Amino acid sequence: MADLRIDLAGIKSPNPFWLASAPPTNSGYQVQRAFEAGWGGAVWKTLGDPILNVSSRFAAVSFNGQRVAGFNNIELITDRPLEVNLQEIYETKKRFPHHAIIASLMVEPKQEKWHEIVKRVEDVGVDGLELNFGCPHGMAERGMGSASGQVPELVEKQTYWVKEAAKTPVIVKLTPNITDITVTAEAATRGGADAVSMINTINSLAGVDLDTWNTVPHVAGKGAHGGYCGPAVKPIALNMVAECARNPLINVPISGIGGISNWQDAAEFILMGATGVQVCTAAMHHGFSIVEDMIDGLNNYLDDKGIASVMDLVGRSVSRYSNWGDLDLNYKIVAEINNDVCINCNKCHIACEDTSHQCIDLFTEDGRPMLKVREEDCVGCNLCSIVCPVDGAITMVERKSSVPPMTWNERQALISSLAK
Amino acid sequence: MSEYQQSAEEIKKIDHHLDSGFKIQYVYENLSGMFVEFARQEEVMLLQILTADARKYFSAKLQEQTLLQ
Repeated sequence: MADLRIDLAGIKSPNPFWLASAPPTNSGYQVQRAFEAGWGGAVWKTLGDPILNVSSRFAAVSFNGQRVAGFNNIELITDRPLEVNLQEIYETKKRFPHHAIIASLMVEPKQEKWHEIVKRVEDVGVDGLELNFGCPHGMAERGMGSASGQVPELVEKQTYWVKEAAKTPVIVKLTPNITDITVTAEAATRGGADAVSMINTINSLAGVDLDTWNTVPHVAGKGAHGGYCGPAVKPIALNMVAECARNPLINVPISGIGGISNWQDAAEFILMGATGVQVCTAAMHHGFSIVEDMIDGLNNYLDDKGIASVMDLVGRSVSRYSNWGDLDLNYKIVAEINNDVCINCNKCHIACEDTSHQCIDLFTEDGRPMLKVREEDCVGCNLCSIVCPVDGAITMVERKSSVPPMTWNERQALISSLAK
Repeated sequence: MSEYQQSAEEIKKIDHHLDSGFKIQYVYENLSGMFVEFARQEEVMLLQILTADARKYFSAKLQEQTLLQ
């Protein structure tokens, strides 16, 4: 049994699986049930000045039969009284002293507002704070959430104000609705953040009803942009985590968020630099019990790899994430088709012929349809193996290059050295 | 002509110049591809290289020449 305990900037939890600040962490009842199910921590649904929510809040994008491939919401922060939330946080912490409870906070960008809310939530015994600079809808129209999180100066200043008052670790939750998330992550670090978390949701409109012409969701015939999350956003989130993890100016732990649905997703985020992960959509889709498989799966994975503690897995793939200009131009892979496994659906041929490099030949041998890759024309794009519906029918294999490794940057330096 | 054949032709020309005692003197790239000046004493030959594989191959040859100098 591997040790799944994590320490994220001083916040300790029995495993790396936290519920993200969202509807699943709206109340003490829910968070306590989540802890009973096995979640290691919970980021309480964002606390702040009183707001009002609308009816009809969520929408999902299904794709080719997969329900909830993406998830959209227009729900704001908690609409429950602060006193009630604080009382429930206190009770939950008392009942689960070894689980992590982090209070997500969002107030106007004013020093006194931050000082006041920090003091009030720390008084009830939270283990840490997460500053919500990420929610893209509703609150952003009032200058909070992602409206704050898109301005590096505001991220730095507000983090600094929180740190002035905070006694517990401060996590800054970042918005992906920005060109380069490392800029705001650096700002958070300069402001004194103990950790950063990413990503919050992505600006989105889930769809338009083709019969009524209403947006999905709509509120009495009107819609507004929401925040997108779920499995569809995982690659975007993973890249942002990795970019921050390899940036030496962002030298604080990362809490990874974005489409994490199983232990494999979690392990990928951890390998790419996340000390722990936060989950929302998968729990909303399947319930709190999914954490059991997450814990078992990660445990088995670590045991198989001979790794004693999940903390030893953190960031192991970061050094493998680089700039395009530092990739070896002479590395060569080609597709290899196993005709014994191939079902002759010809999807690879069609994909290659129509949209790639026209290097898969169709022919007949002893009356049997066959496919063969002309290796000299194959650029190793992977498309055929991606569209192939049969495991093992197409393998991408390495071919030794006749020339030594060379990156684009090395090549350009070499050419420049010949300048007249 | 397939792209592979085209690059093979270009690689052959690069090798031919180098095997004939020419040295790579200058390289520039523009929208029309890569242009390489090969020089042998006073003689200068200009070769246009279009294909990606040949441009990669040329870069390796340039590296070889640089290492030998």
